[in-house]
Amino acid sequence: MSDASVGARRTRAVVRAPQSFVAGIVLILLGIFGIWAASDLPRGTLGSMGPGMLPHWVAIGVVICGSVLVGAGLLRDGAGLQAFGLRGPLTVVLAILAFALTIRPFAIGSFATPGLGLVVAGPLAVVIGGYATPEARLRELLILALLLTAGCMLLFGDILNLPIPIFPTALIEAASGRIPSRTLLRLGAGGLALAGLALLALQRRSTRRSRTDVARHAMTT
Amino acid sequence: MTDLLANLGLGFAVALSLQNVTLCFLGCLVGTLIGVLPGVGPIATIAMLLPITFGLDPVGALIMLAGIYYGAQYGGSTTAILVNIPGEATSVVTTLDGHQMARQGRAGVALGIAAIGSFFAGTVATLLIAALGAPLTRLALIFGPAEYFALMVMGLAFAVVLAHGSVLKAVAMILVGILLAAVGTDLETGQERMTFGLAFLTDGIDFSVLAMGLFGVAEILRNLDQTETREIARARIGRLLPSLADLRQAAPATLRGTAIGAILGILPGNGAVLGPFAAYTVEKRLARDPSRFGRGAIEGVAGPESANNAGAQTAFIPLLTLGIPPNAVMALMVGAMTIHGIVPGPGVMTKNPNLFWGMIASMWIGNLMLLVINLPLVGIWVRLLKVPYRLMFPAILMFCSIGIYSINSLPTDVMLIAAFGVFGYGLIKFGFEPAPMLLGFVLGKLMEEYLRRALTLSRGDALVFLERPVSAVLFLVAFTILAAALLPSLRRGRDAVFTEA
Repeated sequence: MSDASVGARRTRAVVRAPQSFVAGIVLILLGIFGIWAASDLPRGTLGSMGPGMLPHWVAIGVVICGSVLVGAGLLRDGAGLQAFGLRGPLTVVLAILAFALTIRPFAIGSFATPGLGLVVAGPLAVVIGGYATPEARLRELLILALLLTAGCMLLFGDILNLPIPIFPTALIEAASGRIPSRTLLRLGAGGLALAGLALLALQRRSTRRSRTDVARHAMTT
Repeated sequence: MTDLLANLGLGFAVALSLQNVTLCFLGCLVGTLIGVLPGVGPIATIAMLLPITFGLDPVGALIMLAGIYYGAQYGGSTTAILVNIPGEATSVVTTLDGHQMARQGRAGVALGIAAIGSFFAGTVATLLIAALGAPLTRLALIFGPAEYFALMVMGLAFAVVLAHGSVLKAVAMILVGILLAAVGTDLETGQERMTFGLAFLTDGIDFSVLAMGLFGVAEILRNLDQTETREIARARIGRLLPSLADLRQAAPATLRGTAIGAILGILPGNGAVLGPFAAYTVEKRLARDPSRFGRGAIEGVAGPESANNAGAQTAFIPLLTLGIPPNAVMALMVGAMTIHGIVPGPGVMTKNPNLFWGMIASMWIGNLMLLVINLPLVGIWVRLLKVPYRLMFPAILMFCSIGIYSINSLPTDVMLIAAFGVFGYGLIKFGFEPAPMLLGFVLGKLMEEYLRRALTLSRGDALVFLERPVSAVLFLVAFTILAAALLPSLRRGRDAVFTEA
């Protein structure tokens, strides 16, 4: 994105509304991509429309909208480009990817990720995602992750019975026949909740000792 | 009339069963909660909770989802008044006078009048749905494919006019939405379209995935860019019940707001969003002393709040009678209905009278519940606002991932919400609004189907849309409002409605 803003700055005299200009170019590219993607589909006639008819014409419409926006960006003064955050999007995408790849075995080519279940995927998403803001604190996120995961295990797995993998596949295989799955679930949730509460108690005690930290905390909220 | 009473009686019998009352209560509570919390809207929440309703019976599921929707509208105003943060987009106008009232120590009265106005509007809207349901359903039965197509074009035209900002950008967003809807297997020929051979795109893009990406993840990314400033009104909330003088002052505004909101809500194309803005403008124009507005005028709270709630409920009318979702939340309702094997449209009323009338009756019960749960619980909602965003968004992220995974058990769905989240973030940065795109996506498949059918029937003659009187009128309306939105003089008026907020 930084390239686009540099380009806009260099041509300020020509481009009077950088936001519309760049938005228009993005739309034109999107439209051309659409036309290309639908190009191998038969369009048919108006009387019997083929699968390619609507996507083709809609994509052309997108290109037209984009062209008008580019034109407007050259002719009329308008808003400049807005700053893009990089840390937020990157971290959030990473967190969601971590969840998707660990929740159940996922094959990428010949390599497959191990299915670790909600018990790992949930905390991973919370802790990684939490770093999207510079205000993140590891201990706080860990407490949140442990307690939330315990709650979600009980809510989605126990009460609502949704088909979501809770534990790593290896653990389920080892425990099958020995411990009923529901007992295992409740034990797991209880363990996570206890760990979370213990951390919370530790945090309470340490913040009581260092008052300055508390004050800073209050100002950031 | 006796029919109406008998139908409402059936509805109340269904809605008052212990299970449905509990579900309605749960829905209202969750709705108020997310309405209060800025950064979580009803669209993302309903998409998140969709899997939870799989196990319920359809009536209960829809009652709960509807409760979340109007509960959110209700909760949004609480934060607007107390904290000057609109919990939902529709409560933006309430911040103007509502928060000023709170600063003058009249927060309780503002909350009270908002609740009373909303309850009144909800009651009127419920009666309106009950009264209009039957005749509109009959109308729907004489609609052919050409009329349906024309109606949806008109809905999209309204969506363009009602969107903030550039008309051109809104049109572009709708087209992109329709294009995205075309991805996947073509219903008529069975041919794969724009899937690039990717297996997870064969069934098309799931609506809840797109909605969650654009309104859940993108919203988080946008909020992360802003440093938050929350100023919680330290002043006492004060007494909740407005005095007689307050009531007398607010009553006409409530009536006008209800009428405006109800009419705008029926329009396909998310008219409900405009209701509060329009009501505020009208009140300001009609007031003897317009300078009071923005300084804690009680009409400035009563009018928009009533319009807000009336619109939220009448938005169900096009869905239940014509089968056309007028906004994204209603589109998720379509999803919930199809999961349970109910096809939304004119058939619902005759084939599932329990569902139709039960849902309508539950709306009134829900409104009553909101009145009861909201006012005494204000203190709790305010305390919830103190949860810092740095802890809230990781939780939202996790709930989104779990929710979207449990719909189809597909990790690729989870990855797609990340992709659409980044896409939506980019759109916001380029000044596009994601809402029209979602509407285009929703209506895209339906439109293509009806367009094909209409043209097949007319053997390829495109004039069929102008030869049939009903569709001709609908097209005329669509083009008139689009042209009007592009005229410079009217454009300024439209911008004024939005910027006055």
